[in-house]
Amino acid sequence: MEKINIEEKILSKNIKKADALRDLFKKKRVFVMNLVSSPGSGKTSILESTLIGIKNKYNIGVIEGDLQTENDAKRIRKTGIDAIQINTGGACHLEAGGIEKALVNFDLDKLDLLVIENVGNLVCPASFDLGEDCKVVVVSTPEGEDKPAKYPSMIRVASAMIINKIDLLAYLDFDINKCIDFAKGINPDLDFFNVSCKTGEGISTWTNWLTKQINDKKSL
Amino acid sequence: MHEAGIAQNILDIAVENASNNNAKVINKIYVKIGKLAAIEHDALLFAFDALKEDTIAANALLEIEDIPIKGRCMECKHEDIYDEMFFSCKRCGSYKVELLTGEELNITEIEVD
Repeated sequence: MEKINIEEKILSKNIKKADALRDLFKKKRVFVMNLVSSPGSGKTSILESTLIGIKNKYNIGVIEGDLQTENDAKRIRKTGIDAIQINTGGACHLEAGGIEKALVNFDLDKLDLLVIENVGNLVCPASFDLGEDCKVVVVSTPEGEDKPAKYPSMIRVASAMIINKIDLLAYLDFDINKCIDFAKGINPDLDFFNVSCKTGEGISTWTNWLTKQINDKKSL
Repeated sequence: MHEAGIAQNILDIAVENASNNNAKVINKIYVKIGKLAAIEHDALLFAFDALKEDTIAANALLEIEDIPIKGRCMECKHEDIYDEMFFSCKRCGSYKVELLTGEELNITEIEVD
């Protein structure tokens, strides 16, 4: 019997690929956002509302992750933005290797912003680095104000949190301040944005944050 | 439910290290998993047992050490263990708590013949 000391991260293979992607994105000065939420929080609607306002100013690419269908990529393409769909089959998250393969569809020299809309899932995508600059997590008001407390791993690794569907607040027992406090208790560095894709409320404040990130990356 | 992927990564790393050391059989694999890593033990063990068949780890045990969430307040420097997923300092109430442990997802050691 012999003992072999290893001391390695279990996901080291994915981490290495993600680090290589991060280097590439830095060299090409592309800001990369990994957008995560549970299914149905409104990730694609947020992208439609946001990207349409900045598509004339920036070159944008979108990678859509879902188990099945091209539906989300089609929705993004309707706004005039390049989108490619990754179907994971059954897998509950995207991995860096899948992003690497998807990149052949984009000219990184021309791109300013790459959005990766992850598979709707607040658990697994938290563990898989895709080489992004930041994760943005979406929580929508019908999901309940304690959503951040229920899914702390994702809140912990996110840079910003969008609370979507605030047009429904009048019909729900959802306390925005409580929701934000739950999230701050897990990650005090989060930036918060309250939006409604239906009415457009809050979209410009959120878009300003995003454009600042894109510009900061470009001027590196 | 990404435990199957985690189990496969554990096996790959263990088998690679065993082969590099000319080992024939893996008897035990030690991993450390932080509470914040959101890994379910039973699902991980189930996936591990299914995936280890027909490898040199076919009879290997997976030994999981749970790592609690330990935080240090960046303002008053108080250190404490957090069972609840709300990291406000238990002494001064500050939300600026740096996590020292609890996010691990590491393979640490294997026993081989």
